[in-house]
Amino acid sequence: MEVRKTFHEQLDELYRDLLKMANTSVETIERTRAAFASMDASRASSIIDDDDVLDDFVMKIEETGIELLARQAPVAIDLRTIIVIMRVAQHLERVGDLCVNISKAIVNLDGYTVSPWIQENMEQMFQRSVKMTVRAMEAFRERDVAKAEELSKMDDTVDRINRTFLTSYNKESEEELELIIRVVMIARFIERIADHAVDIGENVMYMVTGEFVEFS
Amino acid sequence: MSANDNKMDINNLSMFYGDFKAIEDISLDIPAQRITALIGPSGCGKSTLVRCLNRMNDLINGVRVEGEVILDGENMYAPGYDTIALRRRVGMVFQRPNPFPKSIYENVAYGPKLGGIKKKGELDAIVEDSLKKAALWSEVKQNLQESGQRLSGGQQQRLCIARVIAVEPEVILFDEPCSAIDPVATQLIEDLMAELKRNYTMVIVTHNMQQAARVSDYTAFLLVQEQGEPGRLIEYGETNTIFTNPEDERTERYITGRFG
Repeated sequence: MEVRKTFHEQLDELYRDLLKMANTSVETIERTRAAFASMDASRASSIIDDDDVLDDFVMKIEETGIELLARQAPVAIDLRTIIVIMRVAQHLERVGDLCVNISKAIVNLDGYTVSPWIQENMEQMFQRSVKMTVRAMEAFRERDVAKAEELSKMDDTVDRINRTFLTSYNKESEEELELIIRVVMIARFIERIADHAVDIGENVMYMVTGEFVEFS
Repeated sequence: MSANDNKMDINNLSMFYGDFKAIEDISLDIPAQRITALIGPSGCGKSTLVRCLNRMNDLINGVRVEGEVILDGENMYAPGYDTIALRRRVGMVFQRPNPFPKSIYENVAYGPKLGGIKKKGELDAIVEDSLKKAALWSEVKQNLQESGQRLSGGQQQRLCIARVIAVEPEVILFDEPCSAIDPVATQLIEDLMAELKRNYTMVIVTHNMQQAARVSDYTAFLLVQEQGEPGRLIEYGETNTIFTNPEDERTERYITGRFG
């Protein structure tokens, strides 16, 4: 017999809100990728405008989460799930903020030509960060510890490409300094998005096992 | 946990009411100067178990106990064990406050008087000290001669705690001590338990899981799996672990309300 039906229904709703938020975050990374690929300032601007959606999501999730903590005094898996939902929402909101940062850089790059080498490597990073965020949320939904752990390995590739931007620039000296700085910053922002996916994976580990872990 | 940190060791304890086995094969250590909570659904045997810890069940006809309860190295179920002395060492606070129909003073002085203390000065000191330890002194010091039964429910329960403390027990058993009193009085009792932990070992039976989570250091979860079966110990551990990450799925299902 289930004795806390209403509470568990509220918890399910919170859970579904997080999954919706995650879809929006992934979509935002996708849109940011497309804006960079086409170097389209107006596309980038619309990403900046739409950031409110993710802010609203996180606020709603936190409000409901705090309310459930205060009123239902959840324990064990329920407690860990609520805590993790609130934390993951924070990470997803930060992902949105990073997309805004990237979009601002794209707007500022209006008029510059970006080399195919940059385009190609950036595309790689974008795709991987999308894949990692999707994978992190799959791990969350399926309570899949192995999937969560894989994120750390996936992150290594993103880190490696990110470092390439720094090391390769010494040689490509014809490009203008502003362009170089902005591109390096964008790569760094994408690398941070991937880090958030790894953090979500750590939270999934905690939710499932109750153990705090740090994926390096 | 090393053996000498334990005030009590419950070893393979089973208890029968006639042919009915109420609890089966329970083994559990009660750490000294800590609060151990017993939780579980109604009928799981938690009250039965706590009543085994000062042989209260002996007073019921047809009760039989197997296994042992070691108190400071001695099995209290060994033949010839002094149960009168036992109940002085292991006091009990019940669900309903049950002060004697006597004055506040006499309620507290009753035990020490039975124990042979006659000097008024000595009794006065015990009464004051016990009421202070039970966090009731400031509320009643002007009216010690009033009937204990005229106090509020929460005050009566603290009076009962003072009455237990007055005979200087080593262990205090609480059998759902807050189920008949209001939330503020409940908070007072919980704070009091935290205070008393410095000097006493305590065991509390509670059907309020949040109370177990708030007050206890260790929690034991008991359960009757199928109707008619005896209550068994499912999981025992640090309260923090039990309420954040229990090992047994049955514990998790119970504390999260996924079964009643």
